[in-house]
Amino acid sequence: MMRRLLLCVLPALLLLSGCAAPVDPDEARESIQVIAMDTAMLITTYGERSPAAAYACEDVIRDLEKQLSRTDPDSAVSRLNAAGTLELGELDEELIPILSAAEAYRRETDGAFDITIAPVVAAWGFAGGEEYRVPGEAELQELLERVDGSAVRVEDRTVTLGPGQAIDLGGIAKGYAAGKLTQIFNEYEVPRALAELGGNVLAWGDRPDGTPWRVGVQDPAHPDDRNALVGVLELVDSFAVTSGSYQRYFQQDGKTYHHIIDPATGRPADSGLTSVTVVAGSGAGGAMCDAYSTALFVMGEEKALDFWRSQQGGALFSLVLVTEDGRVVVADKTGQFNFVPEEGSGYTYETVS
Amino acid sequence: MKPFPRLRPTAWDGLVVLCVAALALGIAFFQWRGGTQEGLTAVVSVDGREVDRFPLEELIAAPRAYEHNGYTLEVCAALRGEVSSLDHVKSDGEMGLRVARSDCPTQDCVHTGTITRSGQSIVCLPARVIIRLEGGAADPGNVDAVTG
Repeated sequence: MMRRLLLCVLPALLLLSGCAAPVDPDEARESIQVIAMDTAMLITTYGERSPAAAYACEDVIRDLEKQLSRTDPDSAVSRLNAAGTLELGELDEELIPILSAAEAYRRETDGAFDITIAPVVAAWGFAGGEEYRVPGEAELQELLERVDGSAVRVEDRTVTLGPGQAIDLGGIAKGYAAGKLTQIFNEYEVPRALAELGGNVLAWGDRPDGTPWRVGVQDPAHPDDRNALVGVLELVDSFAVTSGSYQRYFQQDGKTYHHIIDPATGRPADSGLTSVTVVAGSGAGGAMCDAYSTALFVMGEEKALDFWRSQQGGALFSLVLVTEDGRVVVADKTGQFNFVPEEGSGYTYETVS
Repeated sequence: MKPFPRLRPTAWDGLVVLCVAALALGIAFFQWRGGTQEGLTAVVSVDGREVDRFPLEELIAAPRAYEHNGYTLEVCAALRGEVSSLDHVKSDGEMGLRVARSDCPTQDCVHTGTITRSGQSIVCLPARVIIRLEGGAADPGNVDAVTG
Protein backbone atom coordinates (compact mmCIF):
# COMPACT_ATOMS: atom_id res chain seq x y z
CA MET A 1 0.00 0.00 0.00
CA MET A 2 2.76 2.39 1.03
CA ARG A 3 4.79 1.53 -2.08
CA ARG A 4 1.84 2.38 -4.34
CA LEU A 5 1.41 5.62 -2.50
CA LEU A 6 5.07 6.45 -3.04
CA LEU A 7 4.84 5.65 -6.75
CA CYS A 8 1.93 8.05 -7.16
CA VAL A 9 2.87 10.88 -4.84
CA LEU A 10 6.58 11.35 -5.47
CA PRO A 11 6.41 11.88 -9.28
CA ALA A 12 3.47 14.20 -8.77
CA LEU A 13 5.42 16.28 -6.27
CA LEU A 14 8.51 16.38 -8.45
CA LEU A 15 6.35 17.53 -11.36
CA LEU A 16 4.78 20.15 -9.14
CA SER A 17 8.08 21.66 -8.03
CA GLY A 18 9.74 21.45 -11.44
CA CYS A 19 6.95 22.92 -13.48
CA ALA A 20 5.71 25.58 -11.14
CA ALA A 21 7.45 28.46 -12.94
CA PRO A 22 7.86 27.77 -16.64
CA VAL A 23 10.46 30.07 -18.18
CA ASP A 24 8.97 32.03 -21.04
CA PRO A 25 11.65 33.20 -23.48
CA ASP A 26 9.76 36.50 -23.72
CA GLU A 27 10.39 37.04 -20.04
CA ALA A 28 14.17 37.23 -20.49
CA ARG A 29 15.04 40.80 -19.65
CA GLU A 30 17.95 43.21 -19.92
CA SER A 31 17.99 46.65 -18.36
CA ILE A 32 20.67 49.27 -19.03
CA GLN A 33 21.23 52.83 -17.89
CA VAL A 34 22.92 55.34 -20.14
CA ILE A 35 23.88 58.94 -19.46
CA ALA A 36 23.82 60.72 -22.80
CA MET A 37 22.35 63.81 -24.48
CA ASP A 38 22.48 65.65 -21.16
CA THR A 39 20.01 63.27 -19.55
CA ALA A 40 19.71 59.83 -17.98
CA MET A 41 18.25 57.06 -20.11
CA LEU A 42 16.87 53.71 -19.04
CA ILE A 43 16.19 50.98 -21.54
CA THR A 44 14.60 47.65 -20.62
CA THR A 45 14.28 45.06 -23.35
CA TYR A 46 12.59 41.66 -23.27
CA GLY A 47 12.99 38.54 -25.37
CA GLU A 48 15.67 35.99 -26.12
CA ARG A 49 17.91 38.62 -27.71
CA SER A 50 17.26 41.26 -25.08
CA PRO A 51 20.93 41.78 -24.02
CA ALA A 52 22.13 42.28 -27.60
CA ALA A 53 19.19 44.57 -28.33
CA ALA A 54 19.79 46.71 -25.24
CA TYR A 55 23.46 47.21 -26.02
CA ALA A 56 22.67 47.93 -29.67
CA CYS A 57 20.38 50.69 -28.36
CA GLU A 58 23.25 52.14 -26.34
CA ASP A 59 25.50 52.08 -29.42
CA VAL A 60 22.89 53.97 -31.45
CA ILE A 61 22.44 56.58 -28.73
CA ARG A 62 26.21 57.08 -28.31
CA ASP A 63 26.59 57.36 -32.06
CA LEU A 64 23.82 59.97 -32.29
CA GLU A 65 25.30 61.93 -29.41
CA LYS A 66 28.66 62.06 -31.18
CA GLN A 67 26.97 63.66 -34.16
CA LEU A 68 24.32 65.87 -32.54
CA SER A 69 25.86 67.12 -29.29
CA ARG A 70 26.21 70.87 -28.95
CA THR A 71 28.76 70.60 -26.16
CA ASP A 72 31.14 68.09 -27.77
CA PRO A 73 33.43 70.28 -29.92
CA ASP A 74 34.04 67.38 -32.33
CA SER A 75 30.37 66.67 -33.07
CA ALA A 76 28.93 67.46 -36.49
CA VAL A 77 26.62 70.07 -34.92
CA SER A 78 29.50 71.80 -33.10
CA ARG A 79 31.62 71.87 -36.23
CA LEU A 80 28.66 73.23 -38.20
CA ASN A 81 27.96 75.93 -35.61
CA ALA A 82 31.63 76.94 -35.46
CA ALA A 83 32.19 77.18 -39.21
CA GLY A 84 28.69 78.04 -40.46
CA THR A 85 29.01 75.32 -43.08
CA LEU A 86 29.88 71.62 -43.02
CA GLU A 87 30.52 68.99 -45.61
CA LEU A 88 29.14 65.87 -43.99
CA GLY A 89 31.43 62.89 -43.56
CA GLU A 90 30.41 59.25 -43.47
CA LEU A 91 30.01 59.44 -39.70
CA ASP A 92 27.66 62.43 -39.85
CA GLU A 93 24.90 60.74 -41.81
CA GLU A 94 22.13 61.30 -39.22
CA LEU A 95 22.31 65.06 -39.57
CA ILE A 96 20.50 65.23 -42.91
CA PRO A 97 17.30 63.37 -41.90
CA ILE A 98 17.10 65.15 -38.56
CA LEU A 99 17.56 68.59 -40.17
CA SER A 100 14.93 67.69 -42.72
CA ALA A 101 12.51 66.64 -39.98
CA ALA A 102 13.24 69.76 -37.94
CA GLU A 103 12.47 71.99 -40.91
CA ALA A 104 9.19 70.15 -41.55
CA TYR A 105 8.10 70.63 -37.92
CA ARG A 106 9.13 74.32 -38.04
CA ARG A 107 6.87 74.88 -41.04
CA GLU A 108 3.98 72.87 -39.59
CA THR A 109 4.11 74.75 -36.28
CA ASP A 110 4.52 78.15 -37.94
CA GLY A 111 7.93 78.63 -36.31
CA ALA A 112 6.94 77.67 -32.75
CA PHE A 113 9.62 74.96 -33.06
CA ASP A 114 12.86 76.28 -34.50
CA ILE A 115 16.33 74.77 -34.05
CA THR A 116 18.00 78.11 -34.85
CA ILE A 117 16.80 79.42 -31.48
CA ALA A 118 20.19 78.20 -30.18
CA PRO A 119 21.89 81.63 -29.71
CA VAL A 120 18.91 82.90 -27.70
CA VAL A 121 18.82 79.76 -25.53
CA ALA A 122 22.56 80.17 -24.91
CA ALA A 123 22.09 83.83 -23.90
CA TRP A 124 19.74 82.69 -21.12
CA GLY A 125 22.31 80.12 -19.98
CA PHE A 126 20.14 77.11 -20.84
CA ALA A 127 22.63 75.65 -23.34
CA GLY A 128 24.78 74.22 -20.54
CA GLY A 129 28.14 75.33 -19.24
CA GLU A 130 27.05 78.98 -18.87
CA GLU A 131 25.59 80.84 -15.90
CA TYR A 132 21.85 81.50 -15.96
CA ARG A 133 21.05 85.16 -16.66
CA VAL A 134 18.31 87.41 -18.01
CA PRO A 135 19.48 88.97 -21.32
CA GLY A 136 18.66 92.60 -22.04
CA GLU A 137 15.98 93.54 -24.57
CA ALA A 138 18.47 94.95 -27.10
CA GLU A 139 20.55 91.78 -26.91
CA LEU A 140 17.47 89.60 -27.41
CA GLN A 141 16.32 91.61 -30.44
CA GLU A 142 19.76 91.33 -32.02
CA LEU A 143 19.82 87.57 -31.41
CA LEU A 144 16.24 87.08 -32.63
CA GLU A 145 17.22 88.45 -36.05
CA ARG A 146 19.31 85.31 -36.51
CA VAL A 147 16.43 82.93 -35.71
CA ASP A 148 15.03 81.56 -38.96
CA GLY A 149 15.14 77.83 -39.62
CA SER A 150 14.32 78.35 -43.30
CA ALA A 151 17.81 79.82 -43.78
CA VAL A 152 19.45 76.44 -43.07
CA ARG A 153 20.41 74.92 -46.42
CA VAL A 154 21.17 71.28 -47.18
CA GLU A 155 22.62 70.69 -50.65
CA ASP A 156 24.02 67.28 -51.49
CA ARG A 157 26.10 66.57 -48.41
CA THR A 158 26.80 70.15 -47.41
CA VAL A 159 24.89 72.00 -44.70
CA THR A 160 25.06 75.79 -44.53
CA LEU A 161 23.66 78.07 -41.85
CA GLY A 162 22.50 81.66 -42.28
CA PRO A 163 24.76 84.51 -41.06
CA GLY A 164 25.42 84.29 -37.32
CA GLN A 165 23.17 81.28 -36.93
CA ALA A 166 23.67 78.24 -34.71
CA ILE A 167 21.46 75.20 -34.25
CA ASP A 168 20.47 73.25 -31.15
CA LEU A 169 18.85 69.86 -31.68
CA GLY A 170 18.03 69.38 -27.98
CA GLY A 171 14.31 69.69 -28.73
CA ILE A 172 14.26 66.83 -31.19
CA ALA A 173 17.36 64.62 -30.70
CA LYS A 174 16.02 62.43 -27.88
CA GLY A 175 12.77 61.83 -29.74
CA TYR A 176 14.73 61.04 -32.89
CA ALA A 177 16.84 58.58 -30.88
CA ALA A 178 13.68 56.96 -29.50
CA GLY A 179 12.50 56.51 -33.08
CA LYS A 180 15.78 54.80 -33.98
CA LEU A 181 15.25 52.36 -31.11
CA THR A 182 12.10 51.03 -32.77
CA GLN A 183 14.28 49.90 -35.70
CA ILE A 184 16.51 47.97 -33.30
CA PHE A 185 13.52 46.40 -31.54
CA ASN A 186 12.24 45.20 -34.92
CA GLU A 187 15.66 43.95 -36.01
CA TYR A 188 16.22 42.01 -32.77
CA GLU A 189 12.61 40.77 -32.63
CA VAL A 190 12.06 42.38 -29.24
CA PRO A 191 8.48 41.57 -28.20
CA ARG A 192 8.28 44.29 -25.55
CA ALA A 193 10.47 47.05 -24.20
CA LEU A 194 10.35 50.27 -22.28
CA ALA A 195 12.76 53.11 -23.08
CA GLU A 196 12.95 56.30 -21.04
CA LEU A 197 15.13 58.92 -22.70
CA GLY A 198 14.77 61.91 -20.40
CA GLY A 199 11.14 63.03 -20.75
CA ASN A 200 10.70 60.81 -23.81
CA VAL A 201 9.12 57.39 -23.25
CA LEU A 202 8.82 54.63 -25.84
CA ALA A 203 6.41 51.89 -24.76
CA TRP A 204 7.04 48.98 -27.12
CA GLY A 205 4.58 46.09 -27.16
CA ASP A 206 2.80 45.52 -23.87
CA ARG A 207 3.77 44.57 -20.32
CA PRO A 208 4.83 41.00 -19.55
CA ASP A 209 1.42 40.41 -17.97
CA GLY A 210 -0.26 41.39 -21.25
CA THR A 211 -1.66 44.71 -20.00
CA PRO A 212 -0.63 48.11 -21.45
CA TRP A 213 2.45 49.86 -20.10
CA ARG A 214 1.53 52.39 -17.42
CA VAL A 215 3.32 55.70 -17.96
CA GLY A 216 2.74 58.43 -15.39
CA VAL A 217 2.54 62.09 -16.38
CA GLN A 218 4.52 64.16 -13.86
CA ASP A 219 2.58 66.75 -11.88
CA PRO A 220 4.26 70.08 -12.83
CA ALA A 221 3.25 71.52 -9.44
CA HIS A 222 5.38 68.93 -7.62
CA PRO A 223 8.39 68.27 -9.84
CA ASP A 224 10.46 67.08 -6.86
CA ASP A 225 8.06 64.24 -6.04
CA ARG A 226 8.29 61.39 -8.53
CA ASN A 227 5.10 59.92 -7.05
CA ALA A 228 3.12 63.09 -7.82
CA LEU A 229 1.27 62.54 -11.10
CA VAL A 230 -1.59 64.23 -12.94
CA GLY A 231 -2.57 60.87 -14.39
CA VAL A 232 -1.42 57.68 -16.02
CA LEU A 233 -1.24 56.87 -19.73
CA GLU A 234 -1.92 53.23 -20.59
CA LEU A 235 0.14 52.67 -23.71
CA VAL A 236 0.93 49.94 -26.22
CA ASP A 237 3.40 50.59 -29.06
CA SER A 238 3.47 54.33 -28.41
CA PHE A 239 5.65 57.33 -27.76
CA ALA A 240 4.87 59.81 -24.99
CA VAL A 241 6.92 63.00 -24.74
CA THR A 242 6.47 65.79 -22.20
CA SER A 243 7.76 69.36 -22.25
CA GLY A 244 7.27 71.34 -19.06
CA SER A 245 8.34 74.65 -17.62
CA TYR A 246 9.36 72.88 -14.40
CA GLN A 247 12.04 70.77 -16.07
CA ARG A 248 14.74 73.45 -16.12
CA TYR A 249 14.48 76.94 -14.71
CA PHE A 250 16.12 79.58 -12.55
CA GLN A 251 14.87 82.37 -10.36
CA GLN A 252 16.06 85.95 -10.30
CA ASP A 253 14.61 88.89 -8.39
CA GLY A 254 11.67 86.73 -7.34
CA LYS A 255 10.73 85.78 -10.89
CA THR A 256 11.03 82.33 -12.45
CA TYR A 257 12.50 81.86 -15.92
CA HIS A 258 12.13 78.46 -17.59
CA HIS A 259 13.96 76.89 -20.52
CA ILE A 260 11.26 76.71 -23.23
CA ILE A 261 12.01 79.85 -25.22
CA ASP A 262 9.38 81.32 -27.54
CA PRO A 263 11.12 81.95 -30.91
CA ALA A 264 8.80 84.93 -31.47
CA THR A 265 9.82 86.83 -28.33
CA GLY A 266 13.15 85.30 -27.28
CA ARG A 267 11.72 84.93 -23.76
CA PRO A 268 10.45 81.88 -21.83
CA ALA A 269 7.06 81.01 -23.31
CA ASP A 270 4.29 82.51 -21.19
CA SER A 271 1.44 80.47 -22.61
CA GLY A 272 -0.62 79.51 -19.59
CA LEU A 273 0.57 75.91 -19.76
CA THR A 274 2.84 74.14 -17.32
CA SER A 275 3.30 70.96 -19.37
CA VAL A 276 2.41 69.43 -22.72
CA THR A 277 2.48 65.68 -23.34
CA VAL A 278 2.25 64.42 -26.91
CA VAL A 279 1.28 60.77 -27.47
CA ALA A 280 1.51 58.96 -30.79
CA GLY A 281 1.83 55.42 -32.14
CA SER A 282 5.33 54.01 -32.45
CA GLY A 283 5.13 54.31 -36.23
CA ALA A 284 4.61 58.07 -36.05
CA GLY A 285 8.15 58.94 -35.00
CA GLY A 286 9.53 60.04 -31.68
CA ALA A 287 11.05 63.14 -33.28
CA MET A 288 7.58 64.44 -34.11
CA CYS A 289 6.36 64.02 -30.53
CA ASP A 290 9.49 65.68 -29.18
CA ALA A 291 9.27 68.70 -31.50
CA TYR A 292 5.50 69.08 -31.11
CA SER A 293 5.66 68.97 -27.32
CA THR A 294 7.95 72.01 -27.35
CA ALA A 295 6.04 73.84 -30.08
CA LEU A 296 2.61 73.28 -28.51
CA PHE A 297 3.89 74.48 -25.15
CA VAL A 298 4.92 77.72 -26.88
CA MET A 299 1.55 78.00 -28.65
CA GLY A 300 -0.59 77.73 -25.52
CA GLU A 301 -3.84 75.84 -24.98
CA GLU A 302 -6.07 77.37 -27.64
CA LYS A 303 -3.59 77.26 -30.52
CA ALA A 304 -2.33 73.82 -29.44
CA LEU A 305 -5.86 72.40 -29.59
CA ASP A 306 -6.46 74.07 -32.97
CA PHE A 307 -3.23 72.49 -34.21
CA TRP A 308 -4.35 69.11 -32.85
CA ARG A 309 -7.75 69.44 -34.57
CA SER A 310 -6.11 70.35 -37.89
CA GLN A 311 -4.25 67.02 -38.23
CA GLN A 312 -4.43 65.72 -41.75
CA GLY A 313 -5.13 62.13 -42.72
CA GLY A 314 -6.76 61.10 -39.47
CA ALA A 315 -5.59 61.54 -35.93
CA LEU A 316 -1.83 61.05 -35.62
CA PHE A 317 -1.20 62.29 -32.12
CA SER A 318 -3.00 63.04 -28.88
CA LEU A 319 -2.40 65.59 -26.15
CA VAL A 320 -2.44 65.96 -22.40
CA LEU A 321 -2.18 69.64 -21.49
CA VAL A 322 -1.68 70.85 -17.92
CA THR A 323 -2.65 74.47 -17.41
CA GLU A 324 -1.50 77.06 -14.88
CA ASP A 325 -5.07 77.38 -13.60
CA GLY A 326 -5.20 73.75 -12.47
CA ARG A 327 -6.83 71.92 -15.38
CA VAL A 328 -5.76 68.79 -17.25
CA VAL A 329 -7.03 68.80 -20.83
CA VAL A 330 -7.01 65.49 -22.71
CA ALA A 331 -7.37 65.59 -26.49
CA ASP A 332 -7.55 62.18 -28.13
CA LYS A 333 -9.24 60.93 -31.26
CA THR A 334 -7.03 57.90 -31.78
CA GLY A 335 -8.60 55.70 -29.11
CA GLN A 336 -5.19 53.99 -28.94
CA PHE A 337 -4.59 54.71 -25.28
CA ASN A 338 -6.36 55.30 -22.04
CA PHE A 339 -5.72 58.21 -19.68
CA VAL A 340 -6.43 57.54 -16.02
CA PRO A 341 -6.74 60.72 -13.91
CA GLU A 342 -4.89 60.69 -10.60
CA GLU A 343 -7.29 60.70 -7.69
CA GLY A 344 -6.70 63.49 -5.19
CA SER A 345 -4.36 65.42 -7.49
CA GLY A 346 -6.44 68.59 -7.10
CA TYR A 347 -6.78 69.10 -10.87
CA THR A 348 -10.00 69.26 -12.82
CA TYR A 349 -10.09 67.08 -15.89
CA GLU A 350 -11.52 67.96 -19.31
CA THR A 351 -11.78 65.93 -22.49
CA VAL A 352 -11.98 67.77 -25.80
CA SER A 353 -12.72 66.64 -29.33
CA MET B 1 20.47 -15.31 -8.81
CA LYS B 2 19.47 -14.45 -5.33
CA PRO B 3 16.07 -12.74 -5.23
CA PHE B 4 15.75 -9.33 -3.60
CA PRO B 5 14.36 -9.55 -0.11
CA ARG B 6 10.78 -8.38 0.19
CA LEU B 7 10.95 -4.75 1.41
CA ARG B 8 8.48 -3.44 3.93
CA PRO B 9 8.03 0.29 4.32
CA THR B 10 8.97 1.56 7.73
CA ALA B 11 8.26 4.75 9.66
CA TRP B 12 11.54 6.18 8.27
CA ASP B 13 10.21 5.79 4.72
CA GLY B 14 7.16 7.76 5.73
CA LEU B 15 9.36 10.50 7.12
CA VAL B 16 11.31 10.70 3.85
CA VAL B 17 8.04 11.04 1.94
CA LEU B 18 6.96 13.85 4.20
CA CYS B 19 10.28 15.65 3.82
CA VAL B 20 10.20 15.39 0.02
CA ALA B 21 6.58 16.56 -0.01
CA ALA B 22 7.38 19.55 2.20
CA LEU B 23 10.40 20.48 0.07
CA ALA B 24 8.47 20.19 -3.19
CA LEU B 25 5.55 22.22 -1.89
CA GLY B 26 7.94 24.85 -0.56
CA ILE B 27 9.74 25.22 -3.88
CA ALA B 28 6.45 25.36 -5.77
CA PHE B 29 5.06 27.95 -3.39
CA PHE B 30 8.15 30.16 -3.68
CA GLN B 31 8.19 29.96 -7.49
CA TRP B 32 4.48 30.64 -7.79
CA ARG B 33 4.89 33.78 -5.73
CA GLY B 34 7.62 34.85 -8.17
CA GLY B 35 9.67 36.31 -5.36
CA THR B 36 7.23 39.18 -5.01
CA GLN B 37 7.72 39.27 -1.28
CA GLU B 38 11.28 40.45 -1.70
CA GLY B 39 11.97 44.00 -0.59
CA LEU B 40 13.17 46.79 -2.83
CA THR B 41 16.71 46.66 -4.16
CA ALA B 42 18.74 49.77 -4.87
CA VAL B 43 20.96 49.62 -7.95
CA VAL B 44 23.65 52.26 -8.33
CA SER B 45 25.39 52.84 -11.63
CA VAL B 46 28.22 55.20 -12.42
CA ASP B 47 28.80 56.13 -16.04
CA GLY B 48 26.45 53.33 -17.08
CA ARG B 49 28.36 50.67 -15.08
CA GLU B 50 26.69 49.02 -12.09
CA VAL B 51 28.82 49.64 -9.00
CA ASP B 52 26.50 48.69 -6.14
CA ARG B 53 23.36 46.67 -5.49
CA PHE B 54 21.86 46.23 -2.05
CA PRO B 55 18.55 45.70 -0.22
CA LEU B 56 16.98 49.03 0.71
CA GLU B 57 16.86 48.02 4.38
CA GLU B 58 20.66 48.10 4.54
CA LEU B 59 20.54 51.90 4.27
CA ILE B 60 18.78 52.13 7.61
CA ALA B 61 21.91 50.89 9.37
CA ALA B 62 24.28 53.19 7.52
CA PRO B 63 24.13 55.67 4.64
CA ARG B 64 26.32 55.09 1.60
CA ALA B 65 28.48 57.49 -0.38
CA TYR B 66 29.39 57.46 -4.06
CA GLU B 67 32.17 59.53 -5.55
CA HIS B 68 32.73 60.19 -9.23
CA ASN B 69 33.75 63.02 -11.53
CA GLY B 70 34.94 64.99 -8.50
CA TYR B 71 31.55 64.95 -6.73
CA THR B 72 30.31 62.95 -3.75
CA LEU B 73 26.72 61.87 -3.13
CA GLU B 74 25.51 60.65 0.25
CA VAL B 75 22.51 58.32 0.02
CA CYS B 76 20.33 57.48 3.02
CA ALA B 77 17.06 55.76 3.86
CA ALA B 78 14.06 58.08 4.00
CA LEU B 79 10.30 58.15 4.18
CA ARG B 80 8.25 59.51 1.28
CA GLY B 81 7.59 63.21 1.77
CA GLU B 82 10.55 63.69 4.03
CA VAL B 83 12.91 66.35 2.70
CA SER B 84 15.33 67.00 5.53
CA SER B 85 15.39 66.91 9.28
CA LEU B 86 14.66 70.64 9.32
CA ASP B 87 11.52 70.36 7.23
CA HIS B 88 8.25 69.16 8.60
CA VAL B 89 6.80 67.59 5.49
CA LYS B 90 4.17 65.00 6.23
CA SER B 91 5.23 61.48 5.51
CA ASP B 92 2.92 58.67 4.47
CA GLY B 93 5.25 56.03 5.84
CA GLU B 94 6.45 54.60 2.51
CA MET B 95 10.13 53.84 2.89
CA GLY B 96 12.63 54.68 0.21
CA LEU B 97 15.91 56.46 -0.26
CA ARG B 98 17.13 59.91 -1.10
CA VAL B 99 20.34 61.78 -1.77
CA ALA B 100 20.84 63.59 1.51
CA ARG B 101 23.89 65.56 0.44
CA SER B 102 25.80 66.26 -2.73
CA ASP B 103 28.45 68.77 -3.67
CA CYS B 104 27.38 68.77 -7.33
CA PRO B 105 26.56 72.18 -8.84
CA THR B 106 22.97 71.48 -9.95
CA GLN B 107 21.66 69.74 -6.78
CA ASP B 108 19.02 68.06 -8.98
CA CYS B 109 19.77 64.75 -7.24
CA VAL B 110 19.03 66.27 -3.84
CA HIS B 111 15.90 68.03 -5.11
CA THR B 112 14.51 64.80 -6.56
CA GLY B 113 13.56 63.94 -2.98
CA THR B 114 12.66 60.44 -1.85
CA ILE B 115 12.01 57.57 -4.24
CA THR B 116 10.00 54.69 -2.83
CA ARG B 117 8.79 52.52 -5.70
CA SER B 118 10.28 50.05 -8.10
CA GLY B 119 11.32 51.75 -11.35
CA GLN B 120 11.95 55.16 -9.83
CA SER B 121 15.40 56.67 -10.01
CA ILE B 122 17.53 59.58 -8.87
CA VAL B 123 19.96 60.99 -11.40
CA CYS B 124 23.02 63.14 -10.82
CA LEU B 125 24.28 64.22 -14.23
CA PRO B 126 27.39 66.07 -13.01
CA ALA B 127 28.54 62.97 -11.08
CA ARG B 128 27.08 60.66 -13.77
CA VAL B 129 25.40 58.57 -11.06
CA ILE B 130 21.99 56.88 -11.35
CA ILE B 131 20.32 55.28 -8.33
CA ARG B 132 17.35 53.10 -9.20
CA LEU B 133 14.92 50.98 -7.21
CA GLU B 134 14.08 47.50 -8.45
CA GLY B 135 12.07 44.52 -7.23
CA GLY B 136 9.56 44.78 -4.43
CA ALA B 137 6.02 43.53 -4.41
CA ALA B 138 4.51 43.25 -7.87
CA ASP B 139 1.69 45.77 -8.09
CA PRO B 140 -0.17 46.09 -11.40
CA GLY B 141 -1.24 49.57 -10.29
CA ASN B 142 2.35 50.86 -10.19
CA VAL B 143 3.58 52.98 -13.07
CA ASP B 144 6.37 51.58 -15.24
CA ALA B 145 7.81 54.97 -16.19
CA VAL B 146 7.15 58.67 -15.77
CA THR B 147 7.19 61.19 -18.58
CA GLY B 148 8.10 64.73 -17.70
